[in-house]
Amino acid sequence: MRFVDEFRDAELGRAVAAEILSLIEPGRHYKLMEVCGGHTHSIYKYGVDDLLPANVELVHGPGCPVCVIPMGRVDDGIALARTDGVIFTCFGDMMRVPGSEGSLLEAKAAGADVRMVYSPLDALRIAKQNPDREVVFFAIGFETTAPSTALTLKRARAEGVTNFSCMCNHVTIVPPVRALLESPDLRLDGFIGPGHVSTIVGGRPFEFIPADYGKPLVIAGFEPLDILQAIAMILRQLEAGRCGVENQYTRVVPYEGNLRALEVMAEVFELRPHFEWRGLGFISHSGLQLSEAYADLDAERRFQVPGVRVADPKACQCGEVLKGVIKPWECKVFGTACTPERPIGTCMVSSEGACAAYYNFGRFAREREVV
Amino acid sequence: MTGADGCGPDHCITCGDDGVPMTVVAVDPERGLALCGDGDGERHSVETALVDPVAAGDRLLVHAGTAIAALVEEPPR
Repeated sequence: MRFVDEFRDAELGRAVAAEILSLIEPGRHYKLMEVCGGHTHSIYKYGVDDLLPANVELVHGPGCPVCVIPMGRVDDGIALARTDGVIFTCFGDMMRVPGSEGSLLEAKAAGADVRMVYSPLDALRIAKQNPDREVVFFAIGFETTAPSTALTLKRARAEGVTNFSCMCNHVTIVPPVRALLESPDLRLDGFIGPGHVSTIVGGRPFEFIPADYGKPLVIAGFEPLDILQAIAMILRQLEAGRCGVENQYTRVVPYEGNLRALEVMAEVFELRPHFEWRGLGFISHSGLQLSEAYADLDAERRFQVPGVRVADPKACQCGEVLKGVIKPWECKVFGTACTPERPIGTCMVSSEGACAAYYNFGRFAREREVV
Repeated sequence: MTGADGCGPDHCITCGDDGVPMTVVAVDPERGLALCGDGDGERHSVETALVDPVAAGDRLLVHAGTAIAALVEEPPR
């Protein structure tokens, strides 16, 4: 595909890898975090880390929305799905996330009407096709996905669709990154910034990272060459002793973001005082709920949900993986009790979760090394 | 099940922060929707409110059924 294949060009990739090698200071260890699950997936899929010198370490961040959904929210979703007359809609990966008493997929097998959708618009279409049923959309995702939910809720209102509502689990990227920077467990040298989240929010929300913490961030695309270029740009900043927000992904990301998306989000959503993240705990102002103007479309107000907080399973170390404190293979249940077929933790559910991405792609290279 | 704009074993639209390049085939300005084709020849109904106005032939980056950016294609630098 035009302008995709070019960003997978092996020769160019090797040239950037050579540049990376020339930029590193011997004896120094570089720890760079890719915030976004899409980057984690690309890094393992294309073996980007194999092209890096041993002292450039990539740490996987919390940017996979399925991975950070706490069990209590899954339980709330299942309770809604089991409500009489409800058609419960969600993205595919969400169906496999374990709650305290099973997943949405298991609830579906037991008779609940749970349907996978590709977009909130699909969920609205189901509502229009089933006027005698209540259709709930389980909304997850960062700022990339939130405008899509907001536009669909506005459309539901404009078209007079009254049997549609949303259980909102949208989260925002800046608070967890700030929480990680405040964490004593982790020392990072720089960030590979999220590509499509930045299409919406732009580069400005990340300026606190160089300003307050003295770390560079480079917004990057998702092809292997994008990620290598972003790493080179971070190392160039570190070599020059400077830090700032830079944009490698200029073909998609305007530095000011998408103002219309920000406006529609501000109209439909408001910040929750706090939201629970799996493994990271409660983080202030990190989640979105429907604003008062859209309260009638809020599934949590329309229906009863338990709203009970459930602790993560003891064996699961997703929290440490999400904070980059341990690597996926260092978790005690990785690849044994916890696999993509039977996940215990959320990081093993989505293929963008660090554990599943590593299980699917990275472990083979590691097995070769061990042999 | 994997769709160009969906979730499946190889990716999840929201976790992957996915953006699918699509080409506008036809526009319905009154409803704020466009019919778009992806690289596999499949057609999708896409919200265009964030990138309007759009015209047939435009290239858009689509996430969860919404065009989040007009695609400015540039080769690697």
